[in-house]
Amino acid sequence: MRRGLGLVIAIALAAVHLPAGARPAAAADSLNLFGWSEYIPQVVIDEFTEESGIEVNYEMYASNEEMLAKLFSGATKYDLIQPSEYVVEALVKEGKLEKLDKAKLPNMKNIAPDYFGLPHDPQLDYSVPYMSGTVGVVINTAKITDPVTGYADVFQEKYKGRIVVLDDALEIVTWALHVLGLPPNDVNKESLEKVKPILQKWLPLVKVYDSDSPKTALLNGDVDLGVVWSGEAALLYNEDKKFKYVLPKEGAHRFIDNLSIPKGAPNSDAALKFIDYILKPEVSVKISAEFPYTNPNAAARKLLTPAERDNPASYPPGNPKLDTFRDIGANAVLVDKLITDLKAQSGT
Amino acid sequence: MRQESTSFATAAPSHQRAPGGIGWLLLAPLLVWVIAFVIAPAGIMLVYSFLKRGTLGGVVWEFTLENYTGVADPTYLTIVIRSMVFAAITTVLCLAAGYPVAYMIGRASEERRNLLLMLVMVPFWTSFLIRTYAWVTILKNQGLLNSMLLGAGLIGEPLELLYTRGAVIVGLVYTFLPFMILPIYSSVEKLDGALIEAALDLGAGPLRAFSRVIIPLTSPGIAAGVLLVFVPALGIYAVNDILGGGRVDMIGNIIENQFKGNARNWPFGAALGTAMLIAFGFSYWLVNRRQKMIEGTR
Amino acid sequence: MTRVNRLLTLWTAFILLFFYLPIAILVLFSFNESRLNVVWTGFTTKWYAALWRDSLLVRAMKNSLIVASFTTIVSVVLGTAGGWLLYRFRYRAASLLETLVFLPMIVPEVILGVSLLILFVVIGFQLGYTTIVISHVTFCFPFVMASVQARLAGLDPSLEEAALDLGATPLQAFTKVLIPYLMPAIVSGALMSFTLSLDELIVTYFTASAGTRTLPLEIFGRVKKGLDPSLNAISTVFIGATVLAVLATEALRRRSK
Repeated sequence: MRRGLGLVIAIALAAVHLPAGARPAAAADSLNLFGWSEYIPQVVIDEFTEESGIEVNYEMYASNEEMLAKLFSGATKYDLIQPSEYVVEALVKEGKLEKLDKAKLPNMKNIAPDYFGLPHDPQLDYSVPYMSGTVGVVINTAKITDPVTGYADVFQEKYKGRIVVLDDALEIVTWALHVLGLPPNDVNKESLEKVKPILQKWLPLVKVYDSDSPKTALLNGDVDLGVVWSGEAALLYNEDKKFKYVLPKEGAHRFIDNLSIPKGAPNSDAALKFIDYILKPEVSVKISAEFPYTNPNAAARKLLTPAERDNPASYPPGNPKLDTFRDIGANAVLVDKLITDLKAQSGT
Repeated sequence: MRQESTSFATAAPSHQRAPGGIGWLLLAPLLVWVIAFVIAPAGIMLVYSFLKRGTLGGVVWEFTLENYTGVADPTYLTIVIRSMVFAAITTVLCLAAGYPVAYMIGRASEERRNLLLMLVMVPFWTSFLIRTYAWVTILKNQGLLNSMLLGAGLIGEPLELLYTRGAVIVGLVYTFLPFMILPIYSSVEKLDGALIEAALDLGAGPLRAFSRVIIPLTSPGIAAGVLLVFVPALGIYAVNDILGGGRVDMIGNIIENQFKGNARNWPFGAALGTAMLIAFGFSYWLVNRRQKMIEGTR
Repeated sequence: MTRVNRLLTLWTAFILLFFYLPIAILVLFSFNESRLNVVWTGFTTKWYAALWRDSLLVRAMKNSLIVASFTTIVSVVLGTAGGWLLYRFRYRAASLLETLVFLPMIVPEVILGVSLLILFVVIGFQLGYTTIVISHVTFCFPFVMASVQARLAGLDPSLEEAALDLGATPLQAFTKVLIPYLMPAIVSGALMSFTLSLDELIVTYFTASAGTRTLPLEIFGRVKKGLDPSLNAISTVFIGATVLAVLATEALRRRSK
């Protein structure tokens, strides 16, 4: 028993001296980057380190909320985070973001003009668009021959059990709002009451809810159409041209993932250097090559390959009706409850 | 048949002594661990369950009972019951399927035994995600199972196996079976060979030998296996999310949503978690005390 | 008697087949041409070559093995000690202690992760290997303890008494009689701990740091991009190596007999 105890103590001592990984104390030459999993290609990070001499500690998360949880726990002081647009709005409201020193971001001029003037950060004072995309309808044209132009066309009885949708309560609610002609960001008790009957009709038709990899069910042929991220649709299109992507005529969500500097970042200089580096067109194309989302960098778009540019999911043609999400505050709780209830009711 | 052989602990309490100084000293590391890493975090969650939701997640330090009134909603009750039903079905299936395997391994020769144990565990040293997606490949409409059944002419059209409750059960049993096999194995291993042979020789037939002699003797292992399968199975969220197509929400998913989804409602998640904790903790404590009292009064 | 044995062997073989079926798919798809790893499109070994260059993935695997090994060691020590002490001594708060020990098994992982994170921040513990191991041990050692307790139930006390009568010290009785007796339970518990730790995702997310990413974190992070077959490849390499090691040990043991 005493031997066991000694062993425990020895291990504990050894473990404490093990390299603990990231050194959160900001050395002048390190950057604590907190981003979406795999969203920033390793080659881009490595080249940044080569050019600037700044070490990058890259931690990853899989949802905005996870990011917020770890950010505000204070366990590690991050220099750079990648919030979605509605999270940027909430963070700005709470005063949690540093104002960007535009003088240090000469490459901001590369950002396409339609990314300015958006409600979450009109002047781009607190955030720089990293990648954008849409949520729309993907159709397996080998199985679906009737025209599908929007949400109402998707959620028809004849497609029962053949539909995949994102497992995102807020998204689902906004689709119903669109169909009713209501503003998608007008989420409150009353509007939720109005969408409830529509969702009660829709949800029993759904076969799969999947925010992580809806392409799986589509590729497998277990479902034939769905409402998914444009990136997923783009990957599907690259795999097989039979997968068509359509932006719903009732209106669609344009999401923007941004780079922001949290208040109290130990090394905001390094963060600004990184942002400016990302804004270089030749670097930005590298990101597009890995992730077929919509690149907000106008200069980078000119450098895309024809295949990338012609992917209709990445760069939807025409002038579709797009909206970004707003921060809906405590109404998010009501949204979550509604979808949980309806999912449980639609039975399995 | 002596009564003792069917109870949880068959030894007379004479194996137990008063702890004395040395007993408490030796227990100290465990106590410290439990206080630091079980009570403290549980305490944090308990406290959070009475606070208000923060806009960016986290909490606002204002007292409220609204989280607990929220817990009392019928939707959540349905989901809790569903979790318990799935966990129970999983446990029963694991017991039925796993006991023979555990028995086989426990009675095997020493070299064979280790090999078999490794064979049982090694599949679970692969990534859970990839393993579960492999099940998707097996169960999907154009998947392995359907292809085989169609090819053998047993069915005319592919069966809808994936994204159903059945698929979730298969996934759950797959995940938890080793955790039923291992505890039972170690109980079987200590069985006296002569005793088993005697039971089987005395003409009652293997079924009666099993039910009257062998299974009761391995009941501690069975109890451990049931605990180590049922309890964690209550909290699962990933298996049912993938294999159930996100349609089979369990209590684990609901709680996860509060922290990782748009709801950003930590206090509510904490309240749900605390409710689960109290329900389990109390039941376990009661059963445990009763067992100890049975032991002590003999 | 042999009919029973034959049935048991058949059933065990069936269950093992059940266990290995997804693994066979996993291994097969590690040679799949398509990056999206969903439908079979052709044979290639390029993902194994990609593994060579994927230092992130290999480092994640290394981290997972380090964490799982330490977790198993600490869990075995705590679990065995706890199981034996609760057997030997009649503590007044025994039921309470046991309930508390098993509590982490019921607490949802996300809650455990968040609360441990808060705890570590409050006491100023830097995130890294130690915090991950601590969080893993917290829900792994109950498995060891349950296993050891089950094995101790029904232990003939005269076994230890005999050892003591024959002149052994209490410590010798413990190490030379009790520990060997407990071995199958300890091995069971160790296998369970190792397995649980190796595949742990959520709690690890909250208690890990940038340099201590484990394999599940790395793999889960790649879901959106697509779980490309290099992930299958690393799993295949790992279990291939393990199986080989086990067979080699078996062969050596048989040779030395």
